[in-house]
Formats: sequence, C-alpha cells, structure tokens
Amino acid sequence: MQFNTQVVSPVTPLMVCTDIELIAAHDNRKTVGKISVTNPRMRCRNVNVFYGDKQAINRVNLDIGRHEVIAMIGPSGCGKSTFLRCLNRMNDTIDSCRVTGEILLDDQDIYDKKLDVVPLRAQVGMVFQKPNPFPKSIYENVAYGPRIHGLVSSKSDLDVVVESSLCRAGLWDEVKDRLDQPGTGLSGGQQQRLCIARTIAVGPEVILMDEPCSALDPIATAKIEGLIDELREEYTIAIVTHSMQQAARVSQRTAYFHLGDLIEVGETNQIFTNPQHKLTEDYITGRFG
Amino acid sequence: MNEMTEGHTVKRYDDEMIFLHRLVLEIGDLAQDQLRQAIQTLNDKNPSAARDVISRDQELNDLDIQADEEFINLIVKRQPMAKDLREIITISKAVSDLERVGDEVRKIAQLTIHIYDTDSRPPNRQVLRDINTMAAFVGNMLKISLIAFDELDALKALDVIRLDSELEEEYKSALRRLTTFVMEDSRAIGHMVDAVLGLRALERIGGHAKNIAGYVIFLITGSDVRHESLESIEKQII
Repeated sequence: MQFNTQVVSPVTPLMVCTDIELIAAHDNRKTVGKISVTNPRMRCRNVNVFYGDKQAINRVNLDIGRHEVIAMIGPSGCGKSTFLRCLNRMNDTIDSCRVTGEILLDDQDIYDKKLDVVPLRAQVGMVFQKPNPFPKSIYENVAYGPRIHGLVSSKSDLDVVVESSLCRAGLWDEVKDRLDQPGTGLSGGQQQRLCIARTIAVGPEVILMDEPCSALDPIATAKIEGLIDELREEYTIAIVTHSMQQAARVSQRTAYFHLGDLIEVGETNQIFTNPQHKLTEDYITGRFG
Repeated sequence: MNEMTEGHTVKRYDDEMIFLHRLVLEIGDLAQDQLRQAIQTLNDKNPSAARDVISRDQELNDLDIQADEEFINLIVKRQPMAKDLREIITISKAVSDLERVGDEVRKIAQLTIHIYDTDSRPPNRQVLRDINTMAAFVGNMLKISLIAFDELDALKALDVIRLDSELEEEYKSALRRLTTFVMEDSRAIGHMVDAVLGLRALERIGGHAKNIAGYVIFLITGSDVRHESLESIEKQII
C-alpha cells in the first residue's frame, strides 16, 4: 500500500548528535543506549508531544527496525502510550494534542500535512488494550478493512484474505465453522486475536500494540505472545506493556520511558540483566514507589 | 510523579534478598570453619575430630538445599530483574561453590583418618608441611571473596583472582617438593599420594574462592569474567 502523497514537508531540524548519546529534554536525563538501527522501518527524531501547554514527550529519538519487536516500558504517565500513538497519528484525534519533530515510515514523513491518515493507519495498524471487535460477524470484522481500502476485487479474494488473516492470527481453526457468528461472542483472548487478524487483513508494515494482553488470562496471553513472535517474521511490532516479563519474552529491543523522556534503549537481554541507567534499574527492580 | 525509594516497593522483597545474602555469609563462615577444623585434625593427628568434621558437612549440605529452596521461591514470587537477578544468580552459584568447598574439606578430613587411623607408619611432618601453608593461603582467599560479596567490593574480588595465580604457583612448587621427597625415599610414595590429594583439594578450594570472586564482579558490573584473563579483568575493574 502507498501513501496518497509523495511530498515530504520540512520538519523541525535535526539536532547534531551521536547514536550513543542524545541530549534529552534535561541535560541530566540523556538517553542511554543506541537509538538507531541499521534497518529502520520507522525513524523518530526530536519528537515532542504537547497536550495543551503540558509537554508529555520530550525530544525522543528512536528507530524501530524491520522485523523486530520493540517493547516500550515505564511507569504510568511516562508517555509510552502517547509515543506509540504518535506512530500512526492516533493523537490527531485529540484536539489539544500537538506533535513536533520528525517521524518517518520508510523515509516518508507521516506528519506531512498532505498525507492521508487513513492509508497510514492501515500501514501502521494498532491493537488496543481492550479487545474492540466491531458489532458484526467474525467474517465481517476481518473483511471490513480490505473492503473499504479497496484491497480486493471479488468475494473469493476477500474470502482468501479473511482466511489467511485468521490463520496468521492463530484463530482460523477455532472460528472457521462459525464465521457468521458475532465477533463479540468470542472469548477475550479470541477477540484480541480477531482484532489482530483485522489489523493484518489490510496488509500493514507495522503493528502497534498498546498493552494487548492486560485484559487477558495467562493462557490467552501466552497465545498472543506466541503470535507476536510469529508475526515478527512479516511485520515490525511496537508493543507497550506494563509486564516486564512480557517485554523480556517477546521483544528484541526495549525502550524505557520516564516522565516523557526516553531514558534508555537497548537489547532486551541487556536492559533486563544489566541496565545502564539508574532510573531503568530502579524501575525494573521495583524500586519506584 | 513516582518517587525514588532506596528499597523495593514491596518491603518483603528486600527482606528476602537480605535473608539470602546473610545465608551465603553463614554458609561461607561454616565452610571456612570446616576448613580450619580439618587442617587442625591433620596437625593434631586426631581421626576422631576428623570424623566430626565429616559429619558436620551435612550442615553445609542442608544449608545448600535451604538456599536453593529460598531462591527458587524468590524467583517464583518476585521474578527478579537487573541487579536483583544478578544477585540471585551470584548467590545460587556462590552457594554451590561453598558446598563444594565442604566436599573438598571432607577429603582433607578423610586424609587424617587414612593416615592416622589406618596407616601404621604416619608420614614425615615435612610431607604434610605444604598442606598447612596452602590451607592458610586458600583460607585467606575464601575469606576475602566472602568479604567482597558482603561489601560488593570489586577490588577485593580482583585481589582473590590475583591470589589464585599465586596459588597455582604455590601448588606447583609443593608438587615439586613432594617429588623430591619421593626421589630421596621411594617408600614415601604412598604418603606422597596422600599429600598430593590434600594439596589438590586445597587447590580446588582456591578455585572455588576465585569463582565466587568472579560472581561478585558479575554482580557489580554485569560482566561475566569467568573465562577472561587477569589482565582483561583488571582493565574492567580498575
């Protein structure tokens, strides 16, 4: 899928900085770790987010690599969900929200004023904390996106997309005999996988997940985590989670946010065994009151 | 805004970590005491006391099992991360090494029994002289490694790793001296084998002290230095 426009608008000039050490909003809160990757799918530079006068994100610089799962962790209110929502312009729906800086998807500025956000949100799909299937049949939940985006030309093509999306979401075997039943009749874990199938159906490049398992039981959580691992082969995934064990299990890189600053980013194994920043250490060892 | 606190948000977590830390020190104290007692039995030619040392090794084994249960419980309950995770790993490995120190001490106590309870011709004092010297040396290594663990002192841990190089030299020198004894009197070969087994046990205790020192460096720095050269470790610490 292509954006509607190829025009790249001017953005806030980039700071001259190294990969290793970037100056965050306050001099004593530098980002520790390597923010860039060799194969970025998304590239964020000097991203600030304001809700009215309040700054929620302070000059965050971060790459999200192809076929990687990056976990975003941090205490409540640290800005991790706000940052995630910047990646497909979900914050546009909030009147008081203002985003500055540069966010590129495959070198395309997603905040280009001429850019149509509808295809962008198909390209950068999102799965929310609470499963939110449409009040339609299981089939229609998955078919809706491809149909409105004009991705299929016939009913048989649509059937193929629905089946393959449900298969990739690990749900096909459980629902193939009741595709006409309401999506809302599924269990919580099945509903969340249906939402993932719905996201996959429109052929995204990036999938954003905002605490996708927080409303699920351990078995459903395990299924979603297994699915994330499989989806990584085809997609780039950014996941916000409050569970550090989940971040450790599913991600290859982890970013720690605190009070709107990106404090540390690095290989997940390193972050959870030997974090370099004291704030990261204190948070993941449970020393925040 | 979150506030930084010195301890864990869950105070019980701190208590459990402190308990495990103290348990390691308790096991370490017992292992050191066992070593001293075992050497004393050799010097006193006292097989009966050596049997006491051997039976007391069960206390070390019991503490080893208790420590295992404690840190398995802690992992299940708390899922430690970062430095806490490194400390749990350090404690787990250090306890295993201390338990093996106990096993080596048993060998020395068994030597006392073998020499003074069953052998009609005890060895010349000279044959056993190096055992005393090396026991003092490795006892010191063990003591410093446990202080390094208790005080999270990477420099003291580094001292232990340096001492291990000296210990290896001391061990080789002792073997050369024993070889000389045998060349002078081939009838002493049985006693020489006994002495070599004792020295070997002490050399292994030194190795366990070095391992503990390596775990302490891992705990403090996050770097696994077990298979690195002394020079490389020094570069990381100093």
